[in-house]
Amino acid sequence: MIEITGLAKTFPARGSNAPVDALKDVNLTVQDGEFLTILGPSGCGKTTLLRMIAGLLPWDDGEILVNGRPVTGPGPERALVFQSFALLPWATILDNVAFGLELRGVVKAKRYERAAELIDLVGLTGFESRLPGQLSGGMQQRVGLARALAVDPKILLMDEPFGALDEQTRRLLQEELLQIWEATRKTVIFITHSMEEAVLLGDRVALMSPRPGRIVDLVAVPLPRPRAATVDAIEGSAEFAKLTAGLWRQLREMQLFRRHSAQGRHRSSEPAA
Amino acid sequence: MSSVAVEVSRPHPPGFDGRRFASNAAPAAIALAIGVALWETAARIWDQPFFPPFSAVVERLAELTAEGKILTSLVGSLSNLVMGFAISAVVGVGLGMLMGAYRKVEMALDIYVYAMLTAPSLVFAPIFFAIFGLGRASILGVIIVYSMFIIIINTVSAIRGVSPALIEMGRSYCASERQLFFKIILPAALPLIFAGLRLGMGRAVKGTINGEMFISAVGLGAVVISAGRRFDAAAVLAVLLVIIIVALIAIKLVQIVDARLTGWLPSTARQGRAGRAAAPG
Repeated sequence: MIEITGLAKTFPARGSNAPVDALKDVNLTVQDGEFLTILGPSGCGKTTLLRMIAGLLPWDDGEILVNGRPVTGPGPERALVFQSFALLPWATILDNVAFGLELRGVVKAKRYERAAELIDLVGLTGFESRLPGQLSGGMQQRVGLARALAVDPKILLMDEPFGALDEQTRRLLQEELLQIWEATRKTVIFITHSMEEAVLLGDRVALMSPRPGRIVDLVAVPLPRPRAATVDAIEGSAEFAKLTAGLWRQLREMQLFRRHSAQGRHRSSEPAA
Repeated sequence: MSSVAVEVSRPHPPGFDGRRFASNAAPAAIALAIGVALWETAARIWDQPFFPPFSAVVERLAELTAEGKILTSLVGSLSNLVMGFAISAVVGVGLGMLMGAYRKVEMALDIYVYAMLTAPSLVFAPIFFAIFGLGRASILGVIIVYSMFIIIINTVSAIRGVSPALIEMGRSYCASERQLFFKIILPAALPLIFAGLRLGMGRAVKGTINGEMFISAVGLGAVVISAGRRFDAAAVLAVLLVIIIVALIAIKLVQIVDARLTGWLPSTARQGRAGRAAAPG
């Protein structure tokens, strides 16, 4: 279980830039085996939040507990999947998938055996000795996913993992991720800026506001599981349309509000100048 | 799960590729042949003692070699070169890594490195001479001044250029500082470090000959000096040919080691990398 209470982060002023309130009073609880998607406009601090859960970024205020223990840094029970894939360009697919195990000192034969399993799971058998640069973006992210799963984490943290992929590849990977998740039932926190992706994948959607980022709504997704085999039917359903439309309405309001308030600030400063 | 068929572009594997070598070597060979022909005709038409034709230079080279002057001098120069370059490479890469890893070290040393890089290296020859005398240490000093700073600068930018995403990935998988360095930062920085070593090698050859000419008359530098005093232009150019060949072989050796260690780089990136290297020598 992941419990986040009163989390706040302000990035200090840099040069002429004013300090930025990235997160303010973020409260969130994620149950074991839950697939939570975090949806928000760009720049709302969703990635910041994820990096804090991963233990890569310190925060100013509040607390993150993973299975009751406060997060002080990265841990073996959490694994991250990156938007930019972050694969080692000089290492083969096999070595990339085995990298997390290698860092943990798992002997070569064992980690290769485990990596081969995961490569099979993500459908990349036959590509073991290729380099990342020889693979398409979709295949590279399969490697990223396999690498994360190889260390057998309890929690999978996914930072807009399909954001850099084209629409068709993204849809295929969404289905594959659903299949894998439905087979493994890991706890997943999945960042996205797509309403459709958030609803299709998630048990719940946490909606974040623009800066300072807060969780403004938690929307339960009552769509039946397993979903992998019925993605088309789900996306065609009235329930799906209603959920995505509802999320979009809230997102649009936030964006419009932000624009108005920015313009308002601008106008009020004019007479003074 | 089904895998998706994707077109994969395969970069050139490391190792020898005969066809590519031929297609790369042919233009160079033609250019060399034209150059030699131009030299030969121009020298014959102009007919000046200080500008001997290519054939005369080759002839003189054969004589000098037969006299045993070239080989012994070459051995002396090469040992200076190897030793000077080795010190430059080890110290240069080491310092560069420290500067790349620690911002404060860089801020402290930056000014010295750039000062030494831009200062005419030969200026230091009399200073080394005063400190070390006529010995080998003076020549090594000159070689190091010539070659080390370009290696430092490239190493710094190599370390700086390592993708922060890769480092963050390593951290997220609980890599220790040691693992971060040896498993991520070093391999990622290697291509640009080698670009610096290549430039450093070219400068080390220059430093070797200049050091030998200006400090103590040893090695190939001594042959150049004595030939110059006798106004033996053919001998000067003959030694110059030897020096150029040595430099090209030395740089090729660095490239071979480079290709072994960074064979993962696609060939297009490899070609572009020469341009990315800081301040050419």
